[in-house]
Amino acid sequence: MKHLLLKLSQIQGNIQAFFSRVKEYYRIRKNKIHSIIAKIAIYTFLVTISYVFLYPVLRMISISFMTSADLVNPEVIWLPKNIQFGNYDVAWRVLNGSKSLLNSIQYSTIMAVFQTIVSALTGFAFARYEFKGKKFLYAILLFSFIIPIPILLITQYNMFNTFYQSIGHTGLGKGLNTFDSQMIMAFFGQGVNSAILILIFTNFFKMIPSDLYEAGKIDGANPLQLFWHITIKLSLSTIVVVFLFSFVWNWNESYVTNFLVGDGVQLFTNQLGKFDSLFSSRAPESPYAGTGVQLVESYKMAATTVSILPLLVIYFVGQKSFVQGIEKTGITGE
Amino acid sequence: MAKNKTLTKITETKSMENQNAIAYLFILPWLIGFLVFVVYPFFMTIYNTFFQISSEANTLVYTFNLMINGGNYGTAFRNVVFFPQLLDFIVMEITYVPTIIVVAFVLALLLNTGVKGQSLFRVIFFFPVIIMSGPVSGILRYNGAGSIFDYADNIIFKMILSYSPGLARSLSGLFENFTMVLWFTGIPIILFINALQKINPNLYEAAKIDGANSWQILWKIKVPIVRSTAFLSAVFVIIQLGTYALNPVYGTIQGTIYSRGAGIGLASTFAFIYSLVVFILVGVAYLLLGKPEKTKQIKLSSIQEKSMQEVAKKRLAQANKGATL
Repeated sequence: MKHLLLKLSQIQGNIQAFFSRVKEYYRIRKNKIHSIIAKIAIYTFLVTISYVFLYPVLRMISISFMTSADLVNPEVIWLPKNIQFGNYDVAWRVLNGSKSLLNSIQYSTIMAVFQTIVSALTGFAFARYEFKGKKFLYAILLFSFIIPIPILLITQYNMFNTFYQSIGHTGLGKGLNTFDSQMIMAFFGQGVNSAILILIFTNFFKMIPSDLYEAGKIDGANPLQLFWHITIKLSLSTIVVVFLFSFVWNWNESYVTNFLVGDGVQLFTNQLGKFDSLFSSRAPESPYAGTGVQLVESYKMAATTVSILPLLVIYFVGQKSFVQGIEKTGITGE
Repeated sequence: MAKNKTLTKITETKSMENQNAIAYLFILPWLIGFLVFVVYPFFMTIYNTFFQISSEANTLVYTFNLMINGGNYGTAFRNVVFFPQLLDFIVMEITYVPTIIVVAFVLALLLNTGVKGQSLFRVIFFFPVIIMSGPVSGILRYNGAGSIFDYADNIIFKMILSYSPGLARSLSGLFENFTMVLWFTGIPIILFINALQKINPNLYEAAKIDGANSWQILWKIKVPIVRSTAFLSAVFVIIQLGTYALNPVYGTIQGTIYSRGAGIGLASTFAFIYSLVVFILVGVAYLLLGKPEKTKQIKLSSIQEKSMQEVAKKRLAQANKGATL
């Protein structure tokens, strides 16, 4: 009994010593422990939020591989029991894949080239020159960003309609059945989010030291040479940023295209928008056709995955320039 | 000497005139585009709102109808589809924009604490900006991939529902699309991080020396400084929310153009009313966030003033002592 009590008190002493040591440790490294706890909390939060961010995309990819049995099966949440690559085959056919892909790439590239060139010219003027009405025009440029598209689009549609009719440019593959109208608008600096692209250029061009231009002038360069040899050659990275943004935004643009082109040109986005109605006509021999809405969901998700895949590739190749484009050239418009 | 001066003056004015011409040459494409594709359509659409417009043999026939029952405006206000949609849109903007701005700011703060893997998180948060288009977000939303919470069974939600169904409805819109809401934070996060990084670290040092804790630093330094960025982000988000599939008004406007009875006149009216709403929203954002903050004059209470004076006297006395010693 005595022996036991002795041991008990020993244990008690040990525990007390342990706690005092913990307290001592905590007292010494209070700051460090606090920062570790804060870090764990921050990481947990960020990871959770990242999961919520990626959830729709992960879910989309997961569903795109599912069979109808997997979709209904409550046990299957993320990983399908047998992976169905056939969904992509059907999706590709419904989207009219090879044609829409080419069209989309062609359309976005042309628009991006036009937008980049015009934005660079305009941005150069705003950044380099002091001219009459500069402040007013700059304010108007900023204001043009907040004008909602529909109020412009209705009249733009009428304008193009009368224009094409007056020059006899109507019918299949002409006028309002092509993206000519959007090309014209992009050429005159009124494409998707053109105001932002001009702002990016303006802010970046302002950072080029004016000594360079002075030196160029002394050497007898004309404004166009100054623009080409100094501005453009120094801002290749910004040009890439603007081009990529323009490409992506044009790829994703659906409202204006829908309005001005309609069914004239098959693009990934407008085909995806009409997936349900196209499904029955373009994939009639699919083995599951007509077995219910559930399966169409898999096809639809596969189609969505296909349509954003090119963007994903672009993003993962150029992600740094995307983020830095917004960050460094700063749309923080002063 | 005098000659030289006049010479430089002449060359200066010449170069200025030249500059004007050259600048306008560079700006010309954009300026033409702006006049033709923005200014003219903007006023033309407003002009359209006063007319009943029908398309006959590919030419538009205008009939003035403002006097008949308020014309297109009367029709628009009586329309059973447009106004509820517009109200939904306004409710959506009012609930989404503050949420997006606050979430973006919090995420930017956390990313700015110097956590490792900051760039990876930024890549994830910016990624929706790249892929979000009308059809994609529409499909992801309608197929349930957008909602992640089971909010309907939540006891707090039920309580709100029993008190105010309207509030509950707007909240449910927020939760149902919570991921989509997050997806709009991409650009604001980058803007906020940029603004936070620009803050001079000496400010924090000074505040710490004055005994401020990090909570006070957040409210007294960081929040006031990022206000202009918050305004910019708010404008961004207001515009972006309008353009995506979340906004039913666009579809109605497009549909109205092709409908026989209504036509372009009514569609223009819808577009005009909608634009006014957007301008008002941007204006509200400006009033709340965009106004440059007035420098506050701190008024001390009489007790504080007394104690301050005492402190000053004591210090003076100490200084005198030091001097005499």
